[in-house]
Parts: sequence; structure tokens; C-alpha cells
Amino acid sequence: MVYSEECDFIFRLKGILEFACQLDNPNGVQSQSTISKSFQDLRSKVTSKNIVFTVCNSPVLIWPNTGFQSSVESLTEASACGDILQWIESDDGGSKKSSKKKDKKKSGPTVVNMKLLFEVTEPAGNTAPSLIRVSTQQHCVKMPLPLDCALSVTTDERLETVCTGLVEALNKQLADMEEVVLQYRKGSSFLVPQPFHFQLPEPAGLITVVYPAGVPDSQLQAVREDLHRKFELPCDRPYLRRANAFHFPDAAYKDGYLRNPHIHLNPPNIEDAKLYLVQGVYSYHHYMQDHVDDNGWGCAYRSLQTICSWFQQQGYVETAVPTHTQIQQALVDVGDKEPRFVGSRQWIGSIEVQAVLNQLLGVTSKIMFVSQGSELATKGRELANHFQTEGTPVMIGGGVLAHTILGVVWSENTGQIRFLILDPHYTGGEDLQTITDKGWCGWKGPEFWDQNAYYNLCLPQRPKSI
Amino acid sequence: SILTLFRICFESVTYVWLLFYSCKQVNIAHYWIFINFFFCMFRGRMGRSYFVDEAVGEYLSGLQAAPGSCVTGLLAGQRDFVVLAVQTPHRESEGQLKAPKGVSPLDDIDVEWVTEHAKQVSRMLPGGLCVLGLFLVTPPELSKDAQNGLKRLIFAVEKYIIKGRLWELSEEDVTDRVTLHICSKTKKLLCKTFDVKDPKSSAKPADWKYQTGISSSWPMLTCSVEVDLQIPVTGSSSDNTDKCMKDGLRRWAKQIEAAYCLINGRQALDDSELISGQVKTLHCLSMSQEQSELGERSSALVQVCSGSMRVRGVVHCRAYIHNNKPKARHAAQAIKRDIINTVCSRVEMFLEDLCINEGSQKGLCSGQQALPRRVFAPMPISGLSVCDYMFPDESTADVAERLKEMLDCETPEEDIDTSLENNQLFSIISGFEITDSQDDDSSKHVSEIQAENPKIQKPPKYYAGVALAAAIALLATATSLLYFS
Repeated sequence: MVYSEECDFIFRLKGILEFACQLDNPNGVQSQSTISKSFQDLRSKVTSKNIVFTVCNSPVLIWPNTGFQSSVESLTEASACGDILQWIESDDGGSKKSSKKKDKKKSGPTVVNMKLLFEVTEPAGNTAPSLIRVSTQQHCVKMPLPLDCALSVTTDERLETVCTGLVEALNKQLADMEEVVLQYRKGSSFLVPQPFHFQLPEPAGLITVVYPAGVPDSQLQAVREDLHRKFELPCDRPYLRRANAFHFPDAAYKDGYLRNPHIHLNPPNIEDAKLYLVQGVYSYHHYMQDHVDDNGWGCAYRSLQTICSWFQQQGYVETAVPTHTQIQQALVDVGDKEPRFVGSRQWIGSIEVQAVLNQLLGVTSKIMFVSQGSELATKGRELANHFQTEGTPVMIGGGVLAHTILGVVWSENTGQIRFLILDPHYTGGEDLQTITDKGWCGWKGPEFWDQNAYYNLCLPQRPKSI
Repeated sequence: SILTLFRICFESVTYVWLLFYSCKQVNIAHYWIFINFFFCMFRGRMGRSYFVDEAVGEYLSGLQAAPGSCVTGLLAGQRDFVVLAVQTPHRESEGQLKAPKGVSPLDDIDVEWVTEHAKQVSRMLPGGLCVLGLFLVTPPELSKDAQNGLKRLIFAVEKYIIKGRLWELSEEDVTDRVTLHICSKTKKLLCKTFDVKDPKSSAKPADWKYQTGISSSWPMLTCSVEVDLQIPVTGSSSDNTDKCMKDGLRRWAKQIEAAYCLINGRQALDDSELISGQVKTLHCLSMSQEQSELGERSSALVQVCSGSMRVRGVVHCRAYIHNNKPKARHAAQAIKRDIINTVCSRVEMFLEDLCINEGSQKGLCSGQQALPRRVFAPMPISGLSVCDYMFPDESTADVAERLKEMLDCETPEEDIDTSLENNQLFSIISGFEITDSQDDDSSKHVSEIQAENPKIQKPPKYYAGVALAAAIALLATATSLLYFS
């Protein structure tokens, strides 16, 4: 999750517009122009005087297309958009002016959620009410379009600019949706166009792409290739799969796992050393989760789950994180273990992790061997390289324990090294405070390893695909 | 509740003090006031009080009933305020007057006709106002059975009015309906209420109190709403058409009900009151569709239909709200219901008319036809207005005739306002109404009446002898606590 450093706010506007049209002959040539006309009507609706933006959890209402009127007198077109915050009632009560007292690092831009409304009481004309009846057989198509526009801005940006930007974004999104609908339509079967937001490296920033619902990522390869070219993105790693969609800071993850607990830690301050960290998003898997009591034997399984979650959230795979049983079954399937292995409490090591990653996810991994724990301190260059090029979490097993390495702080000159360790032996709940305070996710020195035991490290490699 | 407890304590203390004080000089006048007030408090705790415009009283006393027969009619208004009474119009039957076949004239009451009249009248009432109940004038010998007759009628009327209504009653809506029985000889009034939610309920006593100018300063909300609904029609019979139209309108009605309503720039959500009682601006903002209704659709809903109907145009809506501490959200509810009602009523009327003209097995033929236009006329005396719907081939004379028949009032044709809705299809004339409740020539009275408002609700005669009145109240409280706790 890399936030653009300058942007303090994300304005997110959501709303549903109903697309409706009547087709005499879904396969005829006329149908395309009928559909386009309906979209044109929706676009003119969005640029009409009747649209209203409301800021969620606040009394603020803005009419962006009528010379910027707002329901709150102190908010005018020239107001800084940061002023909106004082009107928003946060869930924990109290004014937002005294922002959270965390001493942790800045948690990213503030999201202002807005809803799209239409005024029904200011008609443009005064046409008499009439009933128009058509009696030819038709296909009546109705489809709710889930509009979702996002705009990244700085605190002092004028509200008027924000609103104009949002109206333009709505227009553009409707045009994109029209394109997607027409492209994937088969006769009278229409797929709902769904918008996804992606945070791309600068200068692109936050962009929105419309994908047709129900079409899996694997079939949208060509679309992604075009976009990678357009935004000059590297062609060997995914940026625009649905799983890569930008996670808005105020949205909770539905599955309840913690994401990237390491970002709440401060890396050790070592002279002349550089920081090499895991890239992207992973979930923290540890003992006792999912009602599985694997205390004492499941640490390598949990580390493997953390790695699988990384591949899922970076968009490389669509399968869910495997359970202990699925992991064991995969090992039986490749012939590495006897069938009675499934359901047992046997430990696994790096080799097994490599095998499972290959079997279930199609991911290859490198194995690194150190004969003594003390030797790990000398592996700084290899680990730094790994985090720089691949950026995947590393599973390390040895002695009687397995851990996950998420990064290193390493000095090329002095050779000093610290390891960022995610410990799967934690048995408590998803309490970020405990996990960071008690060092379940924390920076450790070379003395952390058993100096006499041998260790195997599994370094998963990114598949080259988009 | 705490407030009631406090009031009881306060009253008890005052009573004891006054009783002690007044024991020294007790005379017959005190006893008289005591008994009178006792019964008033007694009844006050037991049932509703209706405040009725004096003009209604005049109308009711002016009713002529043929000897031995009954007169039925409607009472209309809002909440506990009755501002209109209309007798059931004479039904033109096909042949001559039917010979009475029931045992009593009460059985002769044409329930179907009364309910039809009620429905027509409720279409003519702007938002906020509705049919509150019925009255029945009977000769003295039928007074005993009048209550049963009224009960039968009131439930039938309620059932008929609800049919086809696209919005549901909320918990706050009052389900008590008022019935008034008048003896044609003694002119005695007996007022009761029935709870139409519960068919087994029995009548509860209620108060009927006359006042002047009840509705003269009721705030009025108006707005113009643009409607553009596409409704697919499956099947070809007229029943299908009606059902499809109903379903389509119901979906739209839900959106309107869920819309945000801004009155005087503030959202009308909570219990806040309408400041200054005037409605200067009104906006309704609709969300188009709730996110949760989306579900997990990944493709469009496609229906093969035999045709479609489109309701399109601008309708003018109006609602009134009372001025006894009105809540903003009741005002919002009133105008929203009017928006829904006006569109539904005219579509209903149009389709009924179509059925008569084109026959019931019509195939849908194409074309655009104007829906009936809404026109407004002043209501007799009360300062409010009523509305009617004018078909394109009708004139204000037809409207005046209908007003006479349905509302029993003479309206000069020039008073009928046809300007609020256009009669040209697809013409482009801007129309936007913001008005407050000023009548043409009574505007200078408005401010005076407003100043008196706080007092109007408390009938003057009860302020006579306030000290003893308090004492009597205490006794009533004590008694009711004893007997009715």
C-alpha cells in the first residue's frame, strides 16, 4: 500500500443510476444506437442541474451544477476541501478537529464518502403529464449501474474544483461503462459494468477501470496489456487485476485478518543501513485462527498461509488461502507424503512449503540453506536482493521453529543486519496493539536465531504475468 | 412517564390546599364547576378530542333529512382537526327511487356509494388532509342502532380507501377514525372513535369541540415534480396493464418515500419542529436506488414484454400541515404522500376511463395521451384548497360541477386555478412554486392569528375560575388513578 505523499484526501462518490432501454430487436443494428442513446440520456442527467452530492454522515449537500450551492453556508466554492471534515460526524463522537492521537505513522489519506442524489423537485420544464403507450413487442432491459468515482486531492484544493472533477469523473465513467456494455453484450444479455480503483505509481495516481461483471481476470488479459502500455507499467507484475483494487483506508477487511501489521512499526535506526521490505499486502496468519488448534505443530503451515495470502492479494491467484487439510492433501497429491498424513499433526519444512506453493499456486521458490544460525547474519545481500526484486514474504524453518521474514535492515558496509519477523506462534486475537507491542511482529537481531541449528529458507518467486 | 407523575403530584398538592381553603365557603356554583370539570377530565383521559371548524358546525346543522330517513357524510381534515364535512351526494339510480327493502332506513344506506364518495373525496384532498371519519344523521328512533351502522360504514370506507394506495401507514399514523351521530330532532351530537386497525374494537368516546379559523394559518408546502417512468407491460389484457402499472408505480413510490426532504434548507428527519411554521423552500432528493437492493447481480434484467408505458411530465403537488407544533418530518411525509397520490390517482383515473372507452379486452394501442391535469379550488371558508383532475376534453365548468357534487360547495369558475399544471405536451415553460400560506385577502389576518396561536388550543371557557378548576382537576386525577390504574 503505497500512498501518494502529497494527497491528503480522497473524495469518493458512489451512486446508482438505473440504465433502462427498450430494444425491438436485440440482434438488430438499431439496438446499438438505442443503447448509446440511453447512456447519452444518463450523461445529460449527470450534467444537469438536478444532481446533488451529499457527504455521508453530515448535513452537507452540494448542488455542483447550479453555480455551486451548498446547504451549509460556510462552505462555498472557494472553501478548502479540508473544511468539510468539521461537518462530518464520526462514529466515535466528538469533533473531527482533534484527530486521532496515534503516535504511529500517518495512516494515509482521509476518505470523504459522498452519495449521488437527484433532486426531483426542480423540473427543468413544465410539460404536462402524459402517458405514452407502445404496443410492439420489445425487450425491456433494466440494469443498475454502480457508479463509483474517486478523486485524490490535497487539503487546500478548492471545493469547486473537487466537485467539477467529480462530475467529470461521472461522465467519463458512464462513457467507459457504455463501452464495456456494448463490447460484452450478446444479443439481449448484458453484463453489469463494475468500476474498480487502482493506485498506480506516480504520475498516474488513483485511476478507475471498468470491468464487466462475471468475466474472470484470466479472460481480461488483453485489456490489462493495453492499460499497462498506456500507463507505462512494468509488464511482469500485476497492477490491474481485481484483487489489486485499491483498499480505501476507512473500509474494514471483511475476513477479519490483520493486513500488514509491520507498517505500524518503526524500523531500527542503524547507521549506513538500508531498508528492504516485503512489497504489497499480506494477511497475518497464526496459531488458533479459524478454530483450528494447531498450537505446537502448525507454525510452518501458518507461515505458508501468510505467503499464500500475499499471492492472492497481489492478484496472482484467485484461490483462497488453503487450510491445513488442503495443504496436507496437496503434499499427498504430489507424492511427497503418505495418505495418512492428511489429518495428522506432523510438522512441515521449507521443502514442503516449496512443494505446496508449486502444487496449489503454481509458484516456484528458491531454497536457501544455512548450516548454522550464526551464518544468517551473512546472508544480508541475498535477502536484500530478494526483497528488492521479488518482494515476497520468506518462510524460514529450522531448529524446532518456523517463522516468516518480512524484511531486513542491512548495511552493505558494516554488515549489520536486523530481521523483520512475523511470528506464527501467537495464539491471541487480532489485536494489533498486542501484536506490535509484544513483538509478535517485530524487528530482531541475529541473536534471535538458534546459533547452532541449521535453517532452510523458502524464497517464493513472483510469476511473470499481469 | 415522569411528566405525568410530576403533573399528578403538582395537582394533588394544589387540590389539598384548595380543598382546605374552599371548605370555608362552599356553595352550589363550586359543586357545579366541580362536576362539570370532573367529567371533562374524565373523558379527556379516556378518548380523543377533535377540534372542529365552526363552519362545519354550521353545515351540519343546516342539513335537511327527509323525515324518517338518514343522511350520511364524510368528515375530513388532519390529525384531530376537522375542517370539512360533506354529505353523501344523491345517487342517480337507473330506475326510480328503490322501495325501502330493509327493516330500517339504516339498512338502506348504500355502503358502496358512501365508500366510492369517500374515495373520490380523498382524491380531491391535498397532502396532509384525509378523510377522518363519517357522520350520520338519524331520526330519534334509530339513534340506538346508529352506532352499528357507523361502525359498518367506517370499516368499509377504510378498506376501500386503502385499496390501491401505494404507501403504507407508518407507526405514527393515527388509526382512529371519528364518527359523529346527530339526532335529527334534538340536534344532539354523539362523537366516538373507532380504531380501524382492529375490527373487533369497540367505540371509544371522543370530544367534539368547535373553534373558529382552525386551518386559516396552516402552512402550505408546494412543489413541482418531474416524473419519467418507463413501465414494461407483459400480457395484453387490461388487468395485466393495471398490474404492471401498479408494480412500476410502487417501485417509484418507494424511491420517493426514501427520498431526503429538505424544508427551509434543513433535512426533515428528526423531531425538530418547523421553525416559524412557514415553509419557504422545499426540495426532495432521491437516491434512485438503494445499494442493498442491488444484490449480486452480474447481468441486466431483461423482460420480453408486449409493450411499455411511459408516464412523463411535471406534476404540481401541495400539502398542508397543522400549526400545533408541527414536526418537520410529518411535513415531509405529507408532501411525499401527495406526490405519490397525485401521480397514482391520475393514472388510475386515466386507465379507468380507457377501460370504459376502449373496452376491457383492449390490446394496447400506441400513442401519447395527456393524463388528467390537476387544478385547485378554494375550499369552503377554511382557507385551504382542494383539487380535481381535468381531462383534456373538459372545462372548468365540468370541474365546478364535480366540486358541487362531491364536496357540496359552489365554486365560481374563475376561482378554479388551472395554471399550475400545463396543458401542452412537451412544451418548455419553467414552473416552480414556492409559496407560504397566504390567502388572497386574509393575508393581513395571518400575523394576528399567528400571534394568538398559543392560546387557540385552550378553549377559553376553561380558564374561568382557574383556581377551583385546578382543584377539580386534582380530584379527577385522584379518582382516575384509583379507578383506572
